[in-house]
Amino acid sequence: MGEPIVKIVGVTKRFGAVEAVANVDLEIARGELFALLGGSGCGKTTLLRLLAGFERPDRGRILIDGQDMTGVPPHLRPINMMFQSYALFPHLDVAGNVAYGLKREGVARPEIATRVAEALALVKLDGLGTRRPSQLSGGQRQRVALARALVKRPKLLLLDEPLAALDRKLREDTRFELVRLQEQLGVTFVIVTHDQPEAMSMASRLAVMNAGRIVQTGTPHELYERPATRFVAGFIGIANILQTAPGRWLALRPEKIALSADRPATERAIAGTVVEVGYEGDRSLYRIALADGSTMRVAQTNVARARESAFKRGDNVWLGWSDDAGQVLHE
Amino acid sequence: MRLGLLACLLALAAGPAFAQKQVNVYNWSDYIAEDQLKAFTQQTGIKVNYTTYDSNEILDAKLRAGRSGYDVVVPTASPFLVRQLAAKLYQPLDKAKLKNLGNLDPKIMAALAKYDPGNAHAIPWMWGTIGIGYNVPEIRKRMINAPVDSLAMIFDPAIVSRFVDCGVMILDSPTDVFPAALKYLMLDPDSKNPEDLEKAAAVIKAIRPFIRKFHSSEYINALAGGDICLAFGFSGDVLQARERAAAAAEPRDIAYAIPNQGAMLWIDTAAIPKDALNPDAALRFLDFMMEPKVAAASSTLTRYANANVPATALLDKSISGNPWIYPPEGNRARLYTISAADAEQVRIRTRLWTAIKTGR
Amino acid sequence: MSSRSVFLARSQPMRLVIALPFLWLGVFFLLPLGLVLGIALGTNSPDSVPPVELGVDLASFRLLFTDDLYLAAWLSSLRIAAISTAVTLLLGYPMAYAIARAAPRRRPLLLMLVMLPFWTSFLIRIYAWMGLLSENGILNQVLRGSGLVADPGTILGTEWAIYLGIVYAYLPFMVLPLYAALEKLDWSLLEAASDLGARPSTAFLTVTLPLSLPGIVAGCLLVFIPAVGEFVIPDLLGGTQTLMIGKVLWDEFFTNSDWPLASAVAICLLVLLVGPILLFQRQQQRSLERRS
Repeated sequence: MGEPIVKIVGVTKRFGAVEAVANVDLEIARGELFALLGGSGCGKTTLLRLLAGFERPDRGRILIDGQDMTGVPPHLRPINMMFQSYALFPHLDVAGNVAYGLKREGVARPEIATRVAEALALVKLDGLGTRRPSQLSGGQRQRVALARALVKRPKLLLLDEPLAALDRKLREDTRFELVRLQEQLGVTFVIVTHDQPEAMSMASRLAVMNAGRIVQTGTPHELYERPATRFVAGFIGIANILQTAPGRWLALRPEKIALSADRPATERAIAGTVVEVGYEGDRSLYRIALADGSTMRVAQTNVARARESAFKRGDNVWLGWSDDAGQVLHE
Repeated sequence: MRLGLLACLLALAAGPAFAQKQVNVYNWSDYIAEDQLKAFTQQTGIKVNYTTYDSNEILDAKLRAGRSGYDVVVPTASPFLVRQLAAKLYQPLDKAKLKNLGNLDPKIMAALAKYDPGNAHAIPWMWGTIGIGYNVPEIRKRMINAPVDSLAMIFDPAIVSRFVDCGVMILDSPTDVFPAALKYLMLDPDSKNPEDLEKAAAVIKAIRPFIRKFHSSEYINALAGGDICLAFGFSGDVLQARERAAAAAEPRDIAYAIPNQGAMLWIDTAAIPKDALNPDAALRFLDFMMEPKVAAASSTLTRYANANVPATALLDKSISGNPWIYPPEGNRARLYTISAADAEQVRIRTRLWTAIKTGR
Repeated sequence: MSSRSVFLARSQPMRLVIALPFLWLGVFFLLPLGLVLGIALGTNSPDSVPPVELGVDLASFRLLFTDDLYLAAWLSSLRIAAISTAVTLLLGYPMAYAIARAAPRRRPLLLMLVMLPFWTSFLIRIYAWMGLLSENGILNQVLRGSGLVADPGTILGTEWAIYLGIVYAYLPFMVLPLYAALEKLDWSLLEAASDLGARPSTAFLTVTLPLSLPGIVAGCLLVFIPAVGEFVIPDLLGGTQTLMIGKVLWDEFFTNSDWPLASAVAICLLVLLVGPILLFQRQQQRSLERRS
């Protein structure tokens, strides 16, 4: 992995009695697009603010590019942040917002003009430099905030829920736009998000947080196929959790299960009744009631055009899977 | 114009329904023994609506706005009553209804007749002098032989400058200070001649650096509290300061002097505005003011001499025998009065006064 | 029912509501102002009631521009008002800032403390200052008693006392609009500034200050305009050497009974203050447009 750009060692942050971040260790490699994923109140935003320097850790150290940043105020850190609210300066126009950080660095005027123009071109806002933030759409504001953070060429860009304020269609386009930019510039991105598909589709690696702790770190594929805990299995995608022995569970993804009218020849097979059919176009998601009263969820790709779904409510079906289809969990 | 509006509202409030039952008196603050007002109501059944002011100018402006709503007012004879008479702001008194008129001091009545011929519109209430109030030990400490009974005490820079550190105040009133400065220059104190006024202004300008403040009432507390040691002010005010200073936790000895060059005699009068709503009640109130016990009680309160001859016998010896309140005949001859000025003369005087005060 | 009649039915009470402030302005501002202007154009007539002869005579206005007393008084008033306003701003800004950044549940208490002096009569509070500042007043007693200063001198009766009085009396008028502006400020903007490399002082100058400008302008006008015409504070706390336009107006009206000249002074005072007010309105308009 080489020398990590971010190294968080044993960091704890308390607010009153609440431990917002509890003894977190984390390394982020140079050039990664790293996502911190978790529900609200899990401590992911606090961790981001600790990185930016808006909060000081009660315990532990934060190293950026090998340098201890623990006591360094935000304005002296080689980091920039894109705020969830964008925090654009309402009294400055777009160019003024983007130039703000460069002026603080004491960059020469002509260079500021060039770099502002480049940054605006990068986020496709050419020609909007004289607009006020209040005259822009939500998506345009998001891109101004991005340009303002990127123009300083930070070693690390922190993005706090960068897509949360956008509507659904724009959100998906912007996801790929952000990934493209990150690859093009090679800057390390750390994204905080509560949106699991967003994290999965964008991040090269991600950490799942719960109650102030990092539960698991890995690539999206690792986290999906080999979740370490029942929490991760349930938080990322859909999982059927089957208890196989005391203290032992099996996490089984819906698409790893085959559905058939007759008993299949797979290593594991069990009979059930369809109680719910969720038609999603490309696939259908079934809820199957088993004899012991529990339910399982099974996904099946809709290959034939003629029928809506292969099975309908009330059908008696067989579920089948192979021994290596699921992940064995111990907690 | 706001004053006018206010006056209208007041007039409405004092509507005719109460016309026979009340009298609206507008007087200087602390200028009548207030327990006497109750006695008046008991005696006559007329309710006294009593309000106060602390400068002739305020009264003047209210009367000139018209419909002031007052039935009895107490202007100083000159220059205020004179100017107000010229504007026909007062009604003539029905002397048949003033049975106590005979109590009044003929000498004061004669002096007043200069402004109000035949004493047709106003009766004298209190009178006094303008002179020098001082803190005896503080003055002695700084100048053992200080000429405390001379105008030089105030107008000679070489003398007044010695008291800068303990504080000097002068009345903020061109009509009271210019005549004294003229007198100090041995000119006619009543002169309206611009050249004379310029000379007087030069005298006051020369002592200006040594004056802490020009103010017409603050010197009472300042003298009593030891904040200043010398004041040019009204006799009764200085005597009130003297009493307060003597009663203080840290007693101070305050004295008053009538300047030997002569001092201004002023007379405050009571009169009935032309548009008074309750003229009969007002006449009864004036008659009441001329009762010896009322005048005596008020003199005891204010330390000013009243114009009521039988009242003198009712006064404590410390008041009736006090030369600062009732100057002996010899001193009385040195008292002078002044006449009213026309609008242009008033402007010039005020303008000079502003220039003096602001040191321009 | 046609759409037009629906519109009328709805707009009738609306129109009344809109007309009310105009009616108020007309009766309580324009009408008295017209009367004052009428008097200013009249001539002084001491022997009539009221002492004015109506007409169109510019003599009073002419005198204002020929006698340098009025210009000097005006300039002196402007200077005193400007210095007082600046000091009030310097004191009021940190106060407003502290209140705006205090915990939300403590803000009402802090605001009430700012407004608490209003519960006592203005005049009584100024008299209290006289007691504090006089030669043998509480301040000097404390100074002498502490042995720090043997002869502290007297503040009462100096221009310092006027500044003190104006700053004291008008501080709430500065703090409240500043608080209103600062309270609306999005504090994440300061974090953004800091994140972009601004030191706290730079962040204040480039973000907080420009964004609180409407509050600064409102507060300064609320202090400056009445301070220019202030009469009571200079009269009670100040010395006689301080020339102020309010005192000149008082002299013209009461001492000289010259109503036309007093009214002319009042009209000029108003005209010279309308400038800043218009400036303020334009500024408000602009910030309103910016926000929308």
